[in-house]
Amino acid sequence: MSDNLIKILDGNTFVVSDDRGDIEASPTDPTGLFSFDTRFLSTWVLSVNGERLTALSTDDLQYFETRFFLVPGAGTVYVDAKLSVIRQRSVGNGFHEELSILNHDDEPADLTVRIEVDSDFADLFEVKDALQKQGSYSKHAEDGKLMLVYQRETFSRATAISSSQPCAFDENGITFTITVGPHGTWRTHLDVAVEVLETRRSDDGTTLAWQAKRPPRNMAQNLTRWLDDAPRLECDWEPLTTTYRRSLVDLAALRFSPLTASGRSLPAAGLPWFMTMFGRDSIFTSLQALPFTQELAATTLRELGMRQGSRIDDFRDEDPGRILHEMRYGEMTAFEERPHSPYYGSADATPLYVVLLDEYERWTGDTKLVRELEYEARAALNWIDEYANLQGNGYVAYQRRNQDTGLENQCWKDSWDSIAYHDGTLPGFPRATCELQGYAYDAKVRGARLARLVWRDPAFADRLENEAAELKRRFNRDFWVDDGEYFAVALDVDGRQVDSLTSNNGHLLWSGIVDTSKAKAVVRHLVGERLFSGWGVRTLAVGESRYNPIGYHNGTIWPFDNSFIAWGLRRYGFKEEAALLAAGILEAATFFDGRLPEAFGGYPRVMTKYPVQYPTSCSPQAWSTGAPLLLLRTLLGLEPLGEHLVVDPALPMTIGRVELLDIPGRWGRLDAFGRGRVDTSKVVRKPRR
Amino acid sequence: MTNESAGFFRELGRRGHEPLLAKVTGSVRFDVVDGTRTDRWFVSIEKGDIMVSHEGGAADCTIRAEKVLLDEVASGRTNAMAAVLRGALVCAGDVELLVAIQRIFPGPPREPQSSRDVRTSR
Repeated sequence: MSDNLIKILDGNTFVVSDDRGDIEASPTDPTGLFSFDTRFLSTWVLSVNGERLTALSTDDLQYFETRFFLVPGAGTVYVDAKLSVIRQRSVGNGFHEELSILNHDDEPADLTVRIEVDSDFADLFEVKDALQKQGSYSKHAEDGKLMLVYQRETFSRATAISSSQPCAFDENGITFTITVGPHGTWRTHLDVAVEVLETRRSDDGTTLAWQAKRPPRNMAQNLTRWLDDAPRLECDWEPLTTTYRRSLVDLAALRFSPLTASGRSLPAAGLPWFMTMFGRDSIFTSLQALPFTQELAATTLRELGMRQGSRIDDFRDEDPGRILHEMRYGEMTAFEERPHSPYYGSADATPLYVVLLDEYERWTGDTKLVRELEYEARAALNWIDEYANLQGNGYVAYQRRNQDTGLENQCWKDSWDSIAYHDGTLPGFPRATCELQGYAYDAKVRGARLARLVWRDPAFADRLENEAAELKRRFNRDFWVDDGEYFAVALDVDGRQVDSLTSNNGHLLWSGIVDTSKAKAVVRHLVGERLFSGWGVRTLAVGESRYNPIGYHNGTIWPFDNSFIAWGLRRYGFKEEAALLAAGILEAATFFDGRLPEAFGGYPRVMTKYPVQYPTSCSPQAWSTGAPLLLLRTLLGLEPLGEHLVVDPALPMTIGRVELLDIPGRWGRLDAFGRGRVDTSKVVRKPRR
Repeated sequence: MTNESAGFFRELGRRGHEPLLAKVTGSVRFDVVDGTRTDRWFVSIEKGDIMVSHEGGAADCTIRAEKVLLDEVASGRTNAMAAVLRGALVCAGDVELLVAIQRIFPGPPREPQSSRDVRTSR
């Protein structure tokens, strides 16, 4: 996506336009007004007296609001600005645009102001894959509104355009014939409303379509409250303050409130194409954000629990107890041409669900929610043994049952070639990737704690602990690559090691499945030259056949990945190595104004001097946004212990003094302080302990 | 003539308790449109305890659909949430009840031991 596109959003409604505020989408071009995974507006082009406009400047006021300063005329160097045009746009149920025309002349100006309007009602999947529509279109003006309607059987979507000033509607747009007095201003308010039409109208206004049209929140006030509620960061190193603030604002923008959540929010996966519930992304981001805000985790747990798999459905890769992968609302999902209603093809979201539930309780003490979700947590734990044991050897594995539109790789590295042997060949299915075993281990250990503490079922707790211990024992035997001294990325269906060296080793530390005796060797790899670039840990090590510094999961560096690796390093007591990773990623953030991309290139830091952004990644992405938060947690060594918060800082010298004030939790609010003492330049070369 | 939706509701009434709905309390009315006729199934849920009847007026959640469609949903040939998205199954009232109750519909019929069943034997 090119960089001069302007994006504003609220939840899953967003507008992508050029820097003039115009939308001129082609079937594959990703501009437009989108809501519930449907494009409701594909043309929105302003002209004055037949002339297009030129942007003087664009103000990104907030993530939900922007302002375009324009003058008539296009493409000339010299602008004779007798007129100025200002478009101020904010997202709500569709969007609202205040259009102002300022006449700077001593003479009145007679103007024809025209907005071309159209919609292709494309499903997001169609925009990605350039597919043809099967329904029919109609346009008509009624009750002072221009209606664009798309209909396919009972499926109906409409866009309604209205104006506060008199105008003429035709099928292709709206026209204002106006005179603006000398030094005068003309103004109109345009409303573009998104409508999900239903065959039956409810008298009491309670249909789904009506509920989907929630009144826009007072967004500015809402954002201020969100920022006020978060802990305050004070720090000697100014870029960290910038990154922290950027993360909080972006996380606010990434909040998504499903209709069932009574206004509460969970983190969607990314802006703008992934503004929906994702099991994995919502859980990881909630984990990262726990020391800062706990509402996201609670809502994630509730909403994912409410949609937990309940039956065998091959098309959706659904099993009883499985936590969903992705939820979509567009036409292709509605007609079951795509399985996202919701789709369950993820092998990690289910164990991670239990991990999040336990971590949430450790921070909040909210045993009420843990009790409420006992059934879901037990069903998730049951899924691990009952439905994920696809290789028949007790390890969690995946293989899609939807061969057409299901996901091949159901782990976080979900591109087709992300799991490979050292020589580059790809294993068959089912695949048991290593980090899944770590998550399953952690889920059992944490599930046992909850069973004992909250569900009062010590027998179940014992069973889980025994299973966890057994899993750990077997895992350290079966996945350990002896001559390389690291864990294989997966076991193939024959039980053979998929022997490439990957960042997944860091997730294993985080989960606690690694034998203490093996931890040092694993850490040596994580901060060694093959994996560590100077900015962070590469997804795949240099020297593997498929290594490519800009390979999506085969050599790039993912800030999210690194934040969990840093947490893992802390878990095993490698504070200085954790500080090294945190320093690298946080320094990289300064090159992106504090907004970490999804991934950046795995080139050695000494070679490029700056982190090279991965070309097509979405931004902001939730778990990249959450990465600095989790890194702050690991740097300060924040760990709930009973009713207390342990603070055990290990900060890089470059960061200096850090104060994180008003950290929320079961203790009320607490402050944490730290001072930079770790010389990260010495960490890599230092002989191992 | 098959009447899979009626069969589903009768079976549901006999089930007594449904653990998937253990957190749910409320009433759902299914309006099954069959030509000019509308059959009503009134499902009342009290913490997972289920009562099914033809009697009952307003409900916390009303779900309306053609009988043909509801037969497909009740037998797992059509996914309820997808049907909601395409406006074939129209819901009014409490959405949480809809999301909760659709989980008790069965999955699609599977061919026994088909080649698509990838699970290894345990």
